[in-house]
Amino acid sequence: MAYNASLYIFIFLPICLAVYQMTPEKHRWKVLLGFSWLFFYMISGKLIVYLLGTTLLTHYIGIWLTWLKTREQMEIGNADRMQKKEIKKKYQKKRRAVLFLGVLILLSVLACLKYYNFFVHNTEMILDRFSLAFPLETRQVMMPIGISFYTLQAIAYMADVYWGKIQAEENPGRMALFLGFFPQIMEGPICRYSDTAESLYQGKSLRYENISDGYVRIFWGLFKKKIVADRLAAPVGVIFGHYTQYHGAVVAAAAVAYTVQLYMEFSGCMDIVIGSGKLFGISLPENFRQPFCARNASEFWRRWHITLGTWFKTYIFYPVSVSGPVKRWNQYGRKHAGKYVTNLVTSALALFPVWLCNGLWHGAKWSYIFYGMYYFTLILLGTAVKPVRERILQACHIREDAPYWRVLQIGKTWVIIFTGELFFRADGFRAGLHMFRSIFRGFDIRQFWDGTLLGFGMGRADLIAVAAGCIVVAVVGSVSERKGNVIGRLGKVRTPLRWCAYYALILAVFLFAAYGDGYQAVDLIYAGF
Amino acid sequence: MEELMEILREIDDSIDYEKETALIDSQLLDSFGVITLVAELEENFDITIEAAEMVPENFNSAEAIWKMIQRLQEN
Repeated sequence: MAYNASLYIFIFLPICLAVYQMTPEKHRWKVLLGFSWLFFYMISGKLIVYLLGTTLLTHYIGIWLTWLKTREQMEIGNADRMQKKEIKKKYQKKRRAVLFLGVLILLSVLACLKYYNFFVHNTEMILDRFSLAFPLETRQVMMPIGISFYTLQAIAYMADVYWGKIQAEENPGRMALFLGFFPQIMEGPICRYSDTAESLYQGKSLRYENISDGYVRIFWGLFKKKIVADRLAAPVGVIFGHYTQYHGAVVAAAAVAYTVQLYMEFSGCMDIVIGSGKLFGISLPENFRQPFCARNASEFWRRWHITLGTWFKTYIFYPVSVSGPVKRWNQYGRKHAGKYVTNLVTSALALFPVWLCNGLWHGAKWSYIFYGMYYFTLILLGTAVKPVRERILQACHIREDAPYWRVLQIGKTWVIIFTGELFFRADGFRAGLHMFRSIFRGFDIRQFWDGTLLGFGMGRADLIAVAAGCIVVAVVGSVSERKGNVIGRLGKVRTPLRWCAYYALILAVFLFAAYGDGYQAVDLIYAGF
Repeated sequence: MEELMEILREIDDSIDYEKETALIDSQLLDSFGVITLVAELEENFDITIEAAEMVPENFNSAEAIWKMIQRLQEN
């Protein structure tokens, strides 16, 4: 049952809303938990034990950390200054060990399920070169849905309790709801406990504004997914699936089409997810903010899959940048290498694990690792050339905020994004490299409009629907960029205009979506991660 | 406080640090700027900034940064 399925939108959600509303306020979170487990079970069956295990572990680690903190404070009570320092140090060590244990168990489970075959396959290949045999074999591994998402949420929760940013949750049921809330379990957003827990447990009564705003957001997501993304799935599948047969503009168009498909699909799914939360009065964090308006790779990642970027920044980038070895380098570098080199190396040291993890998080493939390294290199390069770039701009009298300069920068970022997504979607790193090279073979720009691009499972009518859908999304995005979230504020505009927009949106989804013969139901891409 | 202002101006002199209260939230100071700032603060104020301190509330304004410095110096 995907979020875009009729079963979810027209049966599962309304039944959940009805039961939720009929239940007394203080027990409503239990209804959400029950439906969350039901949702999970309907997709992953018995694999729900992984979610339950993670829940119990996360709850226990939180309680353990709190218990240690309480003990520390009790011991500190009557101690003098020197003793206090010693006690703090002792308990800091203990709490760090507990956090390490929790994170290690979570990551071990994730590694066994997600990276086992990758590890075995690559080790076999290496040993094979030396004519050695590897005792382990690849095997069929069943992964529960959302494990990459709820594992990150669990780690964030443990780290936040460890840092004293939040109080540990004492009720394991509530912890279960935080980790398993059905709208966000499959594709995120990756929520932090401090952002969502309170509204999850509040049990707010249903309100007309929330229901209408929520369903508008859901239909906006369906618009993106059904009208644009699902139509692009066919040509993208054909070209990427038989990449050796194509070259030039066709491959370039496939890279663009996949990027648009991925954005419409993932951001559309996020609209459905955020809309679903809104129905219950629960605010989930936004995951996209007009990513195609970004002026560089770094800004793109602040606008694309925002909660993943924030997670990496908070739990990897900053902790690494203030860790012992990096600090020691900083001190050494400032004395011997100068500020520029020191800052650059520090940035590289903190950035490398972020992008390695980003690549690996998407899956156990070399092409994903390359994808991470690609952005690591580009972002680091951006930092390295910043002083020179500023001097050149000054010398050429180019203002950063000049419209023409902004357009050029956005264009450059698009090329970076499309290239990255080409490797991301390609069937392995070699296929990606082959496709990238083939763009420059027999490239003829006229192929973009001479009809060559028709006939990959997408007719003229489909192309018009996709183009119209993209224009609508671009206009809404452009207005949202300047004036704030347009879809979110639709409920506040005058009644006739509002209903006109509602009808247009609903009719568009029902009339122009990729339904019927010739179309296949397309699985959610990010649910596979 | 003047020493802090100098450090901030060295990182980016186009920002009005006396008035700005959303250095992180408005992304005026990016993550590279933050780690450069942290290194400068540790060196100049003889403090240790842990990962737990790396939250927007501590870096959103010059005043917030100054308060963090004072708090860490007392510990």
